[in-house]
Amino acid sequence: MFSHLDRKLLRDLTRLKGQALAVALVMACGLAMLTMSRSLIYSLESTRREYYEAHRFADIFVALKRAPNSVASRVAELPGVAGVDAGVSAQVTLDIPGLDEPASGLVRSLPDRGEKELNRLFLRSGRWLTPRGRGEVLVGEAFALANQLGPGDAIAMLLNGRRQEFRIAGIVLSPEFVFESRPGAALPDNRTYGIFWMPYEEVARAFDLYGAFNFLSLTLAPGAREHAVITAVDQLLKLYGGRGAFGRGDHPSHIRVSDEIRVLQTLSIGFPVVFLSVAAFMINAVLSRLLALQREQIAILKAFGFANRQIVVHYLKFAFVIVAVGTVLGAMGGVPLAKRLVVMYEMFFRFPALEFRLDPSALVWAALVATFAATIGVHGAVRRAAKLPPAEAMRPEPPANYRPAFVERTGIAHWLSHTFRIAVRNIERRPMQAAFTVAGLALATGILIVPNSFRDSVKRILGFQWDVIDRDDISIGLLEPAGVKVGHLFEKLPGVVSTEVFRNTAARIQFGHKSRQLAIRGMTADGEHKRVVDKALHQLPLPEHGLLISAKLAEILGARVGDQLVLEILEGKRPVLTLPLVGLADDLTGLSAYVERRALNRLLGEGDVINGASFVLDAAARPNFLRELKGIPKVSWVAVKDSLRASFEKTTAASINLIQTMYLVFATVVAFGVVYNNARISLAERARELATLRVVGFSSREVGTVLVTELVILGLVALPLGLLLGTGFATGIIGMVNTETVRLPLVLTARNYAFATLVVSIASVISAAVVLRQLSHLNLVGALKAPE
Amino acid sequence: MTTQTDSGPATVSLHSDREQLFRVRGLTKTYGVGDAAVHALAGVDLDLYTGEFIVLLGPSGSGKTTLLNQIGGLDVPTSGELRYRDLDLANATEEDLTHYRRDSVGFVFQFYNLIPSLTARENVALITEIAHDPIPAETALEMVNLGARLDHFPAQLSGGEQQRVAIARAIAKRPEVLLCDEPTGALDIRTGIVVLEAIERVNRELSTLTVVITHNAVMAQMADRVVRFSDGRVHSIHKNSQRAPASSVNW
Repeated sequence: MFSHLDRKLLRDLTRLKGQALAVALVMACGLAMLTMSRSLIYSLESTRREYYEAHRFADIFVALKRAPNSVASRVAELPGVAGVDAGVSAQVTLDIPGLDEPASGLVRSLPDRGEKELNRLFLRSGRWLTPRGRGEVLVGEAFALANQLGPGDAIAMLLNGRRQEFRIAGIVLSPEFVFESRPGAALPDNRTYGIFWMPYEEVARAFDLYGAFNFLSLTLAPGAREHAVITAVDQLLKLYGGRGAFGRGDHPSHIRVSDEIRVLQTLSIGFPVVFLSVAAFMINAVLSRLLALQREQIAILKAFGFANRQIVVHYLKFAFVIVAVGTVLGAMGGVPLAKRLVVMYEMFFRFPALEFRLDPSALVWAALVATFAATIGVHGAVRRAAKLPPAEAMRPEPPANYRPAFVERTGIAHWLSHTFRIAVRNIERRPMQAAFTVAGLALATGILIVPNSFRDSVKRILGFQWDVIDRDDISIGLLEPAGVKVGHLFEKLPGVVSTEVFRNTAARIQFGHKSRQLAIRGMTADGEHKRVVDKALHQLPLPEHGLLISAKLAEILGARVGDQLVLEILEGKRPVLTLPLVGLADDLTGLSAYVERRALNRLLGEGDVINGASFVLDAAARPNFLRELKGIPKVSWVAVKDSLRASFEKTTAASINLIQTMYLVFATVVAFGVVYNNARISLAERARELATLRVVGFSSREVGTVLVTELVILGLVALPLGLLLGTGFATGIIGMVNTETVRLPLVLTARNYAFATLVVSIASVISAAVVLRQLSHLNLVGALKAPE
Repeated sequence: MTTQTDSGPATVSLHSDREQLFRVRGLTKTYGVGDAAVHALAGVDLDLYTGEFIVLLGPSGSGKTTLLNQIGGLDVPTSGELRYRDLDLANATEEDLTHYRRDSVGFVFQFYNLIPSLTARENVALITEIAHDPIPAETALEMVNLGARLDHFPAQLSGGEQQRVAIARAIAKRPEVLLCDEPTGALDIRTGIVVLEAIERVNRELSTLTVVITHNAVMAQMADRVVRFSDGRVHSIHKNSQRAPASSVNW
């Protein structure tokens, strides 16, 4: 079955199993990343596509003020429109027993008869609504889980200011809310925000919309152009207060999943490339060494008539066995990793069933990419073997030529020990091998920087959001705007150190074709509680006229300071205003627009009113404060900073820990593998030299010093490079997280650098120690014999 | 030239002016076990004295190199007695052997075994750094007539020059015993003689017990005693009444 040349291959591999395994492991790290990210992309994409298809997720969405139901059929007749689903969508306030903070949510209508045309629901548990039944509601899964609600439980809602009790019929999912989150929120807070579905009649009557609709979704006919349909829909709905149709590309839930897929795509390319490059270097080193040892064997094979091709294939097979092992190990690592991440995604994304699906093409890709890397790696070495003339190869390799190392020529030679000289001259003689070792160690150091930088960045956001921007302890919202005098009442609550009032309102902000829905925050011009800051963390005073908006929002809108923005207020008389953009706030989460409170009052055509307040409290009096607060009937929501902070930390901690563990393992494997490989090759190449040192009276430890000095020098070069590389990785990866929901600032700490340095150093030391143990088995007698 | 032949161990009376360095009795060395066992040394008795020049002769596989390795502390015997002064080499620890090699033994190999990344001077200085009372590296290299090539790397030296660096390296620590395994084996005649002269000079000037393995019987003329090996045993020992200078050796 096996040719004798293959037998030689197997025995060579067995002899070099440690090194072959080290290469395979480094390769496996890259391939695990590849398998993991490709499979996750496949899982997310295919699950999403199937979910969208089965539940008829719409292509275009539009919110409007109010249009008679007959208008929906006119939309359906527009060219390019395939299906239409119109209904009511309304904000509600919730009263959840046991929850300190009042929660809010979104109610959608379901047709009184028959099934929804588009965006059909998936029933997770319980039952559908009884036809023409009243007082029943379907609840989105994320909210239900977070509040431990199930079918049969009761829930109280304020519909248009009227409190009503509902019974939960079923727990559902919707393709519109794969990511179930308050618009503009950085992370889902499923405890205080939920999605609900009720019969059309009930919700339409509650909001005085019976016979009309205020939300419409449609699907495109095959071949229809999204942009054309959006323009036509906007044209038609303009009369009815249409707020601008948008496609899936602007759909908040869809964007979140797409963002995740985009991050995975970057991961699926970047990291495998880096790991496989190192593996290619390592395989080159191992094979070069093997070929040097087997010069004579190659010559004999050639002398006996083996063709160059056969010899090349023989050594390529060596690389391919390593590739095969690496691919298998990579798949074995990538699959469980992907499964863990799928579980994590389930916390964020609501699919009927998000299962891990192995992307078979990922494995093919992994094998192909690894083969490619290995082929590049061995190319030079194998070519040398092929080019070797038989007669030449019969002679041993010419003796190594050394010269004083560069550092010695600088004139400090005097102070250098002999061990040091041996080490630096060796490094200089084999610059490529040294460079690869340095590259590998630098890489290991670099990838360790990323997770900690990520962690520090999130910590910075929390600190920024809750220490720099929000300096209050608690903020509350009122059900209805109230006169500013209410503020004086708040001051009298127990434990209040200071209080500031605000007026917030929902609005759609538009510039050119781009628009976003968000909260306009009317605040005290130079308030101490909710501050608006620029890049340098200097507080920006709110202007008398004009808007400050998040820098990210300006970027999305394509607006610059001085541009006129169109602001459509989504409450009361719904005025449409034009305001100049006067400044950019460097906030890190969500999208916001800020305006001086009284200026907002004027814009809204209302008196000196507020709809919320923030408090700095004396910590000891906090329970009293909360107790008194519950007695104030007009309070619609309460945000306690500490509990927001805790829930944020809890959700991010799990994912960051997983990522950190992953990177830690990969970095350790690379550091260990690279050092092991280098030390093994040094040891093998210089066995004779090292044995001679032992013979002339050096102890094992002293001989080990020669090898260790070399590794230490390489390490000293690699570590700063690695820190630099890591800085680059962190900048790139963290820079990618620049989305509407969150913008991670780049944070690099001395602690982070120290940790990376420490881990790589320890891995290197252990790896070197493993190799150095073999020094005690050096064949002293063999050193006296003829050179290889 | 050979004046005396005896088949038993050399006795103290023949070397009354010299101090005994090695005592070897019933020394055996067996590699492998069972049927595969090779008896490299099958019971060797030998005494070696300070300042002596010993030539070991014998066919390949007769046990010369194995004995040299035991004496040099590179390997331990399977059985028998092997003493260097008060040190029991047969039962010494790895650490003892390292110190023994470091302080007392100089090695010269057929293939020089220089450290390729160190210059001639540095190759010698490497050893003088760890030795107790060394000769300066430069002096040692002067002794082998290499004072002019101190800063050359091995790759820049001829075979004979490399071997002389190896000798300088071996003697710089002022060893009590200099062990040379085929020191001229890889050299041509002329170069070989230069190397032998260097070895001879060291033996004479430093009174170093010098043991040389060779296939070349004519080198026996340089020795105080010539020990012939066959089948892992001392076959015979000849004592030369007069040593011939290296320059007169002709092969």
